[in-house]
Amino acid sequence: METPVIQPVIQMEDLTVRFGRKRVLHGITFTLPPGELMVIVGPSGAGKSTLLRAINRLNEFHGEARTGGRVRVTLEGEAIDIHKDSICLPELRRRVGMVFQTPAILPFSIEKNLSMPLRVTLGIGRGAARRRMEEALRKVSLWQEVKGRLRDDAATLSGGQQQRLCLARTLALEPQILLLDEPTASLDFKATEKIEQLLLALKTDYSIVAVSHSLRQARRLADRLLVLREGRVMREMAGSQLRQAGVFERLIEEAF
Amino acid sequence: MEATSNRLLCAFAWISGALVLLTTALLIGFLIQRGLGSINGALFFGDTPWLSAVLNKRMVFDGIWPALAGTFLLVVLSSSLAIPVGIASGLYLAEYAPKRVRSALEFAVDLLSGTPSIVMGLFGFALILLLRKTIGPNAQTGLWLAGLCLALLILPYVIRTTQTALEALPPRFRMVGPAMGLSRWQNVRKVLLPMASRGIFSGAILAIGRAAEDTAVILLTGVVAQTGLPRGLGDKFEALPFRIYFLAAEYRSQHQLDQGFAMALVLMAMTGALFLAAFALRRSAERRWKRQ
Repeated sequence: METPVIQPVIQMEDLTVRFGRKRVLHGITFTLPPGELMVIVGPSGAGKSTLLRAINRLNEFHGEARTGGRVRVTLEGEAIDIHKDSICLPELRRRVGMVFQTPAILPFSIEKNLSMPLRVTLGIGRGAARRRMEEALRKVSLWQEVKGRLRDDAATLSGGQQQRLCLARTLALEPQILLLDEPTASLDFKATEKIEQLLLALKTDYSIVAVSHSLRQARRLADRLLVLREGRVMREMAGSQLRQAGVFERLIEEAF
Repeated sequence: MEATSNRLLCAFAWISGALVLLTTALLIGFLIQRGLGSINGALFFGDTPWLSAVLNKRMVFDGIWPALAGTFLLVVLSSSLAIPVGIASGLYLAEYAPKRVRSALEFAVDLLSGTPSIVMGLFGFALILLLRKTIGPNAQTGLWLAGLCLALLILPYVIRTTQTALEALPPRFRMVGPAMGLSRWQNVRKVLLPMASRGIFSGAILAIGRAAEDTAVILLTGVVAQTGLPRGLGDKFEALPFRIYFLAAEYRSQHQLDQGFAMALVLMAMTGALFLAAFALRRSAERRWKRQ
């Protein structure tokens, strides 16, 4: 009996990114199988966020960014080269959802933070948007906390709640891949714990690539680990390997 | 040493703030003291019944109603030309313009903002002369020309404040919309413009104030001392700043001078009312953006 071939969700080959004359990423190659959570770690300036933004082509917001190599993502079972001319960028970015390091709430009400992108990008009506909003807020365990104050300014939420709101906003758009850029960097211990539990629950439904500043967090979360240094992949390993005695300590010494 | 300089700086800041407040209070107080007594029905409508004057059934000879209406029309006309174009230009400069185009346009905006208003008036006058010699032998100065020249005068305020308000947004907010699948225009319309709305409205308010008070531009582009309400865009018109200037220069009695102060008070009240309307509009727009 033939073993079914599992198509990777992200396949990156020899990716290079330059900003002007400065080369930030050098020949990055990796694959991410479906339903896995990959954590990218490395010291500041290693190119972690740039690598993340190369997957949804958000680097192009910097006018001087130049990207080489190939990135393929599998959406609806179809592998797509994201640098092909025919690709619809807004659609790619909706399918490959992203959450930023600092909670990027918009200066609107809690409800509008979630419903506006739904109505604008998908053109769905108020009722359908509300259903999706509730579903997404329940997924991130925020519904009970905000259901009575949906019309309040989103800025009135705590940092951890704001980050969960951002995650809910991304999930409501029904992405297939999640990119998380240090989602717990600005949060306290309790809020971090909550987000981490959430990520572990979400990885059954989504393939996730998360940047982290903490190797300890990577050890708790990662199915796969990518260690970056000065724009190059220094190590790639399975999460189980990371949890073996001695490996973690060696990695801290090597990478940081 | 540092503590002393901190204290000095703090004192300087307090004194500066207090001076602004004091100057404004003095100005308003002085105008109220000299002008309030002359504010009555006759100041606005002279001998003409107010309803006939407002409905333009009878001409007002001694009152400032035509000048008040003329200034209001002028502000509305110039603002409705300058504000949309200014916001669009500021948006283009902040979000879309390539580097080289931006430098050239910014230079042009700076040049325009440095143009004295009398030069703008001369430009309008020269434009009429040019029209007369070419395609419009009957072209005349009037409300449309004054509105256009005033719009050019206030345009840089709106452009610059819109551009600055958009450029001052934290860079991370530029990526939030696109990261959710919004197109560039959707991001501008639904995320960036609402976020920059306070700054943009400030520019619009500044422009309205500037349009209401300018005299030099209208002197050469269609204002006259006595003509009644304009019936169309091509008509000559009266305006409060010109009326005040005229009265201050040519008054023949104390009563006339006091009337001049009363007119200044009315002009300030009208500008204040326009500001309040703009603030109310901003607040309602913000509420709409935040909730819906």
